[in-house]
Amino acid sequence: MSLLNSDASGMDSSVSQMEKKKVDVAFKSLVLDAVIFWFLALSVISMVGPETEGYIDLQYYSFLSLGLLVVGGALSYVLQAKASIKTLGQSVFAMPQFGDEQSQTAWYLSFSNWELALAFVFALKSGIAFTDFSLIEIFDANGIEGVKRILTGILTPDFHILPRAIEAVVQTIFIAFMATVLAVPIAFVLSFLCAKNIMSGNSFTFGIYTVLRLVTNITRSIEALVWAIVFTVWVGVGPFAGMLALFLHSVASLTKNFSELAEGISDGPVEGIKSTGAGPLQVVWFAVVPQIVLPYTAFAIYRWDINVRMATIIGLVGGGGIGDLLIEAQGQLRWGEVGTLVIVIAVVVWLMDAASAYLREAIK
Amino acid sequence: MEPILQVRNVEKTYDNGVKALKGVSFDVNPGEFLVVIGLSGSGKSTLLRCINHLHTPTGGEIHFKGKNITGAKGKDLKEVRKKVAMIFQHFNLVPRLSVLDNALNGALARTPTLASIFKQYSDEDREKALEYLDLVGIREKAFIRADQLSGGQQQRVAIARSLTQSPEILLADEPVASLDPATCHTVMDYLKKVNKELGITVVCNLHFLSLVRQYADRVIALKQGELVFNGSPDDITDEWFQTIYGEQAKEVHIN
Repeated sequence: MSLLNSDASGMDSSVSQMEKKKVDVAFKSLVLDAVIFWFLALSVISMVGPETEGYIDLQYYSFLSLGLLVVGGALSYVLQAKASIKTLGQSVFAMPQFGDEQSQTAWYLSFSNWELALAFVFALKSGIAFTDFSLIEIFDANGIEGVKRILTGILTPDFHILPRAIEAVVQTIFIAFMATVLAVPIAFVLSFLCAKNIMSGNSFTFGIYTVLRLVTNITRSIEALVWAIVFTVWVGVGPFAGMLALFLHSVASLTKNFSELAEGISDGPVEGIKSTGAGPLQVVWFAVVPQIVLPYTAFAIYRWDINVRMATIIGLVGGGGIGDLLIEAQGQLRWGEVGTLVIVIAVVVWLMDAASAYLREAIK
Repeated sequence: MEPILQVRNVEKTYDNGVKALKGVSFDVNPGEFLVVIGLSGSGKSTLLRCINHLHTPTGGEIHFKGKNITGAKGKDLKEVRKKVAMIFQHFNLVPRLSVLDNALNGALARTPTLASIFKQYSDEDREKALEYLDLVGIREKAFIRADQLSGGQQQRVAIARSLTQSPEILLADEPVASLDPATCHTVMDYLKKVNKELGITVVCNLHFLSLVRQYADRVIALKQGELVFNGSPDDITDEWFQTIYGEQAKEVHIN
């Protein structure tokens, strides 16, 4: 056998590429530093500034923010370029270059660490303020009394409601089942149209890809609960509305899951089938589908599992299922019934979860 | 003798600006075993992909049996690919399909789409596929999933798939580069068999020079996208070798 030993090197336009990269890194770190400066300055201003009544003045704050960002960017530039101090932006975005002197500064002396710590402390402070964080409320005697009452109710479940609960939970499972079963074939077809590697052939298909991608992204970003409200108006309160809401959300989510799988397939079989002179549909069927059918099935099962969980609460807005009972019992303060419902939901969700995990493992 | 394939000034510049082929011309005679050598990145793979039209050349012409096939589309492209089969370094089988189904994939171009989806291949195609699996000595594995096979066996299935196409030319893109030395010879021997017994013209990219001397009727060499050698394998002297592979290159022998 003979192997070949040789030295092939291709140095082309790497210099200009490095310049471009440098500018890119400098810009990104400038922006990060500017945003941190803006945040810190705004926090300080709102702390020391006068209490304002009513809503914030958007126009005032827009101009202020713009100014602060410019000042922050300038400050970052001066620190980096003139004082050659490594800011947080630089330590995040600039990759250490070969031959760079590793800085020997102790961690508590490095500017970027202080910048990070300061930003974190102020973020924590703002977080505490915005969430009305209060230990007093947690240990309030009245509050604790109320929790005790509810928990005792839940922990002494009232099993009179069990037949209704079981009927409702079966309805819930089938809401999820129908939503999944109807969504899978549609998502299956859409996933190919939303896969970049399949659709980037020419500008027409790429146009379809872009539009569909946008539509499914928007659909997915709207919670199923919100869709349920829309559908209760459309088809009336009840399980049908809940099913349609979950269906729509599932189509969008599964399309995303599926298309990502389709984008991750290996090109080898595609090339192999193409080289035989097979038509485009044959390429998809023989080279793409065999690679994705099992992962698709796994995702579909997982979606059913998720849909069961979502279907238990879709009733809160009138989407049918066991959530209907839950909101009713809670509204009438019958905590014993709530306890029973919670147990039923927990058991079903746990069973579905275990079953779906087992199935997905089995078909791998 | 009329060449079966004429490559005329073929150029390929990729979208990112890389010039893979800078005007390559050569003929392939019917029934010959032509080997293409050159460094990685010299344009060997691009050349074969341009002939099969997995890539479209950006310049020059390719003639197959006297007919210009450059930039063929639709039906014409299908005809070209039917007659110009290809096998690959990484075999490019469909892993979850059986060996027989993979071999039958070679019949896709002449099977209507709907029929192929329901696996309604003609009996003739089925027989052909089995016959070629037999030819490459892997018929007993026909119903095993392709990804259960070793690399050498997978490459033999790939050869069977390409033969099921009833091709006139077989392009082999580094068919043994990911195989061990022993398997390497088995696969090359089958390619030789295909060439000599079935009379199918073979154009094969190779890395190993000792294989070239053993199997090639004629050799062409590419260097940075240009043709630098065209002749008999015996004519590759040390000087030629250094021209093709660079000054520092030395031939390494492994037993």
